[in-house]
Amino acid sequence: MTESESNLDFRRGMIDRRLAHTRRVLLVMSGKGGVGKSVVSAALAGIADASGLEVGLMDADIYGPSSALLFGARGLPAEGESGLVPPILGGVKVMSVDLFASGRPIPLAGSGANEILLELLALTYWGNLDCLVVDMPPATGDIMLTLTLLRKDVEAIVVTMPDRLSTSVAHRVLELLKGGGVTTVGVLGNMVRGSAKDKETGPKKLAEEFRVPLLGLLPFDDSVSNAVEKGNIDALLRTRFARSLQKSMSVYLRGMRRGAPRAVG
Amino acid sequence: MHELSLVQGIISAVGETASEKGGRVRSVKIGVGELAQFDIRLVRGLLNDLKKGTSLEGARITVEPEKSKVKCLSCGRIWNFQELAGPISSDEREMMHFLPELLNSCSRCPNCSKSYFEIEEGRSVRIIEMVLDD
Repeated sequence: MTESESNLDFRRGMIDRRLAHTRRVLLVMSGKGGVGKSVVSAALAGIADASGLEVGLMDADIYGPSSALLFGARGLPAEGESGLVPPILGGVKVMSVDLFASGRPIPLAGSGANEILLELLALTYWGNLDCLVVDMPPATGDIMLTLTLLRKDVEAIVVTMPDRLSTSVAHRVLELLKGGGVTTVGVLGNMVRGSAKDKETGPKKLAEEFRVPLLGLLPFDDSVSNAVEKGNIDALLRTRFARSLQKSMSVYLRGMRRGAPRAVG
Repeated sequence: MHELSLVQGIISAVGETASEKGGRVRSVKIGVGELAQFDIRLVRGLLNDLKKGTSLEGARITVEPEKSKVKCLSCGRIWNFQELAGPISSDEREMMHFLPELLNSCSRCPNCSKSYFEIEEGRSVRIIEMVLDD
């Protein structure tokens, strides 16, 4: 009996073992670019750390990575006997293709982006994590499919701005999550300006239609861009946006109670 | 030394497949792609050390180098790592050592100078084939 290479991608098993000590995997999605997924992911990881949780942030936006920049991470990750050790910044273990590419463009055709994602997941030694936050790329291609199939218990939050363009794409993502049996933690409105229209339409209607919680409506906050410029997660966590995110995710974070430490293999 | 993790991953995958199919491992063929620039002797040595007490002990293990094959999606030229249009730095070699696809970030097609190409073969270490006794 002969097994050929198509059945033998050993990285799949490596990824399962890498994530065996991670309690929750949370995908931060939107489908559309520019709605603030990366900033939400980074701030959420920082908030989770401040709540006493062990947290990792995986930048799955291979073409346009920004997590390393948001945390001020640079340089190749250290290599340990157990694999690549993600740098810890602001208490968060951060892994991104940009730690390798260092700002170079990443023009990938075909399966290239997915290959990089699989390689990073297979090689990264996260240790024990309460939560791995995954900053998802825009679009609903290979990377989304790979990550929603990563584990049976993968969860997702869908971030959207209140406008029709953002919510129409978020609608598609919610449909895909529902069809794929992925637990949707809820919808998170972002860059909401406070008008009655912003508050009553968009994210709220999406949450109602898909019968998932509306986690919150994060305000449009000028101070976020200043904090991002600093490349320092602490500055981001001091913004009104981050305080609102903390409130929006408080129930989810409380549910992520840490159990007894487990040995890492 | 992430080669160690990869070799452990290979040994686990072979063991899991053998146990799933219910057969003994007769042989395994491993390819070492040139883009990741692994030392093939190191891969052989790790396999030799780590196979003890696993389903690979007693199996015939072949480790062979694999040349890269890169297809330019602009002009159609098929080329390999040895034909790069320009030199690449030690930093660039190091990033490719971990993520071979980042060849796209540091090189261009030697024929048309576009950076729109796809790696078809020779990226990193892989299991080419394993044979189980029926």
